[in-house]
Amino acid sequence: MARYGMALDYKNCINCKACEVACKEENGVELGAEKHRIWVGGNNPEGQWPFLDIASAAFMPSQCQHCEDAPCQEVCPTNATYYDENHVVRVDSDKCILCSYCMNACPYDARYVDDRTMTVDKCTFCSDTRLARGETTTACQNTCPTKVRTFGDLDDPNSEISELLRTREHFSLKSHLGTNPKLFYLT
Amino acid sequence: MQVEVSRRKFLQGSISLSIVGASAISATNLFANNDEDSGGGNSSIPKTITTKTGTGKADEVPILCGMCVNKCAAFARVEDGIITKLNPNPYFPKSRNMLCPRGNAGIQTTYDPDRLKYPMIRIGKRGDGKYKRVSWEEAYDAIVNGTDKFKGLKQILDEEKDNRATIGYCNGEGLSKEGFEVLVGQKIGTPNYVDEVSICLETAGGGFFSTIGTYPEIDFEHADYLVIAGANRAEAIITPDTLDMFKYTKGRGLKTICIDPRFTNTAAKSDKWLPINPGTDLAFVLALTWVVFNENLQNEEFMKKHGVGYEEYKQHILSHKYTPEWAEPICGIKAKDIYTIAREFMNAENPIYYPGRRSVLSPNDYQLRRAMAIFQALSGNMDKKGGYIFGNRGLLPAEYVKQPIYENTKERFDTEGIAFPTLKSGSWIVFRNMILEGKNPYPVRAMLMRKHNPMMSVPNTAKTRAFLEKMDLNVVIDILPTDTAMLADVILPEASYLERMSPVKSYGFLEPAVVMRKAAIKPLYETKTPEVIFKELGEKLSKPLFEVSKKHDKALQELIKEKGEKVAFEEGGYNLAEPFEKPIEEKNEEIITEVFGKKAWEIIDEKGVYYPHIEEYHKQLSPNDFQYYPKSKRKYTSRGDSLKVICKNDSLASGGIDVMPTWHDEWKFSVPKGEFRLITGRHAQFTQSGTQNNMMLRDLIPTNFVWINQRVADKMGIKFADRVEIKSEVGAIRLKAYPTEKIAPNQIFLLHGFGSESKGMEFAYGNGGNDATIIKDDIEPMYGAAVMHSTNCKIRKV
Repeated sequence: MARYGMALDYKNCINCKACEVACKEENGVELGAEKHRIWVGGNNPEGQWPFLDIASAAFMPSQCQHCEDAPCQEVCPTNATYYDENHVVRVDSDKCILCSYCMNACPYDARYVDDRTMTVDKCTFCSDTRLARGETTTACQNTCPTKVRTFGDLDDPNSEISELLRTREHFSLKSHLGTNPKLFYLT
Repeated sequence: MQVEVSRRKFLQGSISLSIVGASAISATNLFANNDEDSGGGNSSIPKTITTKTGTGKADEVPILCGMCVNKCAAFARVEDGIITKLNPNPYFPKSRNMLCPRGNAGIQTTYDPDRLKYPMIRIGKRGDGKYKRVSWEEAYDAIVNGTDKFKGLKQILDEEKDNRATIGYCNGEGLSKEGFEVLVGQKIGTPNYVDEVSICLETAGGGFFSTIGTYPEIDFEHADYLVIAGANRAEAIITPDTLDMFKYTKGRGLKTICIDPRFTNTAAKSDKWLPINPGTDLAFVLALTWVVFNENLQNEEFMKKHGVGYEEYKQHILSHKYTPEWAEPICGIKAKDIYTIAREFMNAENPIYYPGRRSVLSPNDYQLRRAMAIFQALSGNMDKKGGYIFGNRGLLPAEYVKQPIYENTKERFDTEGIAFPTLKSGSWIVFRNMILEGKNPYPVRAMLMRKHNPMMSVPNTAKTRAFLEKMDLNVVIDILPTDTAMLADVILPEASYLERMSPVKSYGFLEPAVVMRKAAIKPLYETKTPEVIFKELGEKLSKPLFEVSKKHDKALQELIKEKGEKVAFEEGGYNLAEPFEKPIEEKNEEIITEVFGKKAWEIIDEKGVYYPHIEEYHKQLSPNDFQYYPKSKRKYTSRGDSLKVICKNDSLASGGIDVMPTWHDEWKFSVPKGEFRLITGRHAQFTQSGTQNNMMLRDLIPTNFVWINQRVADKMGIKFADRVEIKSEVGAIRLKAYPTEKIAPNQIFLLHGFGSESKGMEFAYGNGGNDATIIKDDIEPMYGAAVMHSTNCKIRKV
C-alpha cells in the first residue's frame, strides 16, 4: 500500500525521448508515434531568427498525472478506469468499451487507444511490470540520461520524493482544474 | 506558469503527420527469408515488436551498448531466450546509469526483420540486388577464389605479385574494430586502410593533442561558465558530458553560452544563443583571445610556466588586431557580445571552452582546435578540478601481434594536398579520389568493408559508387543490407552487439574503469560474431595467400630455404588466424585475471564493470545518483609541471601549416544569392546511417526534413512537408521541408543518416535524403579530413 507519485526536475530535460522508448519496450506499448504513454512536450522558440526567445523553448516531459481526482475515472461508464491499491490510475481492459469518454475528459491528453487490446490505455507507473517484480523505479526514471524523474511513495516521509517536495518549490499542471495531480514539476 | 500539453503538439509542429503506423509493417523484402531453418520460424525471435517484460524468471546479462560510440553499460533482460528490455547499468562511471533512446531501441536492431541472415554472393550485376544464399564455406571460398562473376583475393594478389596494398579496407567504430585491423592490416598486410576518423573528428583530436597533449575530459560538476560552440550535446549525446552538463544549466551554476548557426536543443538549454556564420568560429576565438591579451585578463603565471611560444602568440594576436570589431562582420556576432564573453570567461572561477568532438566542419578546423585549447589555457583552468581533465590512462596493457613482412607490399599513397598524412587511417576522400582520378601508383582492386557504410558517410556518393564499382572484389561484413552492402560481391552477416561477447575495453580519465560486453543471446539466424569471422576468414586465407607470397616474395623464399616451409610459415606470422584462435570468452578472462586477479573477473563477469576498489567505492546515493569514486580518489590533476601548452608549433611550418592559429580571409562566409549553405548534424534519436531501419526510432524521427527559414520558405511558397529538391554541384536529393525560424535565411539544415537506396531495408529505403549525395568532397589541409559545411545548394519545390 503506497501512494505513488513522481517529481520531475524538468529543467534537466533535453528532449531526447529515452523515457518514451524505455516505456514502450518495458510495457510492450504498441508501435506508432501516436501510441505513447509518456512524451516530451516542446515548443518552437518564439521570435524570428536571430532573435529567438530561449525561455519559450522549454521542454516539458509529460504523461498521465495520476490525479487524486481523475476526470477519466469519474466519467468511465463501466468502471474500467479505477484506482489500484497504490492510488495508481489503472484500466481494466476487460471492462473497457472504447467509448472514449476518458480521452475527452482527460485534461492532459494522456490516453490513447491500444489497437491490439482495444483498450484506452495509459501510463501505469510500471505497476504490472517493474513494480510487480519488486523494483522501485519506473522505466522512464531509470533510463533518463539527465535524471529528470524521481518516483516514490508520497505517504512515506522518508522517501526521496517526499524529501524533494519538502525542500524544492514545485507546481502541477492545470492545478486550477482541481484534479490534484501526483506529478510534480520542480522549479 | 502555463504549460500547454497536447498529444498533437508533442513532436514540435506536426511532424507526426507523416508517420506510418505499425500495422503497415511487414517483414517482406528481397533479402527476407522465412524458411524455418533461417530463423523465420525461429522461436528465439519475438512474435511482437515490443515485448512487455514479465514478472517471472529472467537473466540479467551485462552488455555494452553498440548503438553509437559511447559504449554505455547496460543489462539485457532475457526471458525465455528473448531480450525483452535493456536497462542501464549503474556500475559504469562513464555512462552514469542511463540509456538514451537509441540504447533503449537496441532490441529493434537485433530483431530487425531486414537483418542480413546468412552469407550471400552476388549472382547478378553489381547493384541490382541479385544474390544467392550460400554457406559460410562457400562465401569464404568466393573471397579466396572468386566466382564466374568476380575475382578472388588469390588471383588478384597473384596478378599484383603479392603487393598486399592492392587490397583496401575500411572499418567502423566499435569494440571489434581493432580485430579487423589486425586481420586485414597486420596479418593480410595492407596499409590501405580508411575509417571514420577522416570523415569525423580527426582535426578535433589532432588539434587538441598537438596543443595540450590530450583530448580532455570536462569536470562539469565543478565548472561555472561554459562556451559550447559548434557542439550540440543535448542531441549529439556524448557520455558523460551530456549527462553532467544539463544538470547545471538554466541558472543552476553553469552559465552557458551556445554558439551555433542553428537553434539546437543545446541552444534551448543555454543562457545565451549566438548564431554564428558557419565556418567562422576561428575568428570568434581569436577575437576572444585578443580581448584577453588587450585587457591583460589571462592567468599569466600559468602561461609563463606551461606555454611554449607564449609571448610570440600574444604578439601574434595583438599585432594582427583580431579585435571584436574585426570579428563582428566575419562571424555575425556583435563585438559587445565578444567583449562580454571574454571578460566573463576570464572572471569565472572554472570556465570551460568546450572542446566539442564532432565532424570537421570547415577547412580551418585544426587551427580552430588549437586556438580553443590555448584560449582555455589562458584561464589556467586546465589539469585541475572544474577544468579540462587529463586524468588517468587506461587500465589494460596493449596486445602483441606477430606480423608478417611482405616484401612486395607498397606504401599508401593518399597524400595529395595533405600536409601531415596519417599513416594509420589515411584520408577517405583523398584515397577514393586519387584512385578515381588514376593517381594511384599501383592498382587497388579489392575493398574489404566491415560495419561501415561509405555510400552514406563519405561526401559525394556518386564518387564512392564509382570507386566501389572499379573494384574487382567488394566484401561487406555487416548486420543490415546497407547501400554499401548492395555493391558487395560477398556479404558476410555479423551478429549484432547483443549477440556477442566483445573484447574487454578500458576507459581512463577521472574515473577509470574496465568494461565488458557479454552476449545476451546466441547469434540469430546464421550470423557469426566478428571474432569468429576473423578467425575463419584468416584460416581460409592463410595457405592460399602464403602460396602467392611463396611465388613472388624473394625474402620469404630465402627464409624458406633457410628454415624450411613449416617454420617460415609459423615464425613469419603467416597463420592469419593466429590472433583469433583463442575464443574471446577465454581471452577476456585471461586478461582480467592477469591484470587484476580472479576476484576482478568474477565482478566484471557479473556486473560488466570493474575498477580497483569498486566494491568499496561504489555506492548508491539516491534513486538517481551513484558514487563511482569518492572525490578524494579522483585524479583531477595528473600532468602537473609536465603540462605544455604549445602556442607556437614550429614543426607545422614544414607542411605549410600556420605555426600559430591565424585567420585567412578566404575562410569568410558567403553564399551566392538564391543559394543556401548546407549544414548537417545529429539528433539524439539517430546514429548516422546505422539506425535508419530501426522501427522504434522511426517512431521518433520518421524522416529527415530539410530546415529552411520560415520567412524564406513563405516567399518561395514552401510549406511544411512540401517536397523539395536540394541540388549542389555534386548531386541532388528530394525530401520534405520544415520551415522554421531556428535557422538563418541563407542556410539549410538536414539530419545525416537518411535517404537509403537499398531496397533491402524496408523502412529506410527511399526515406528522406542522403546528405552525402550533395556534400562536396572538400578536405582540410592538415590531415585531408572531410569538410562538411562548405557546400552551397539551390532549392526548388517539386
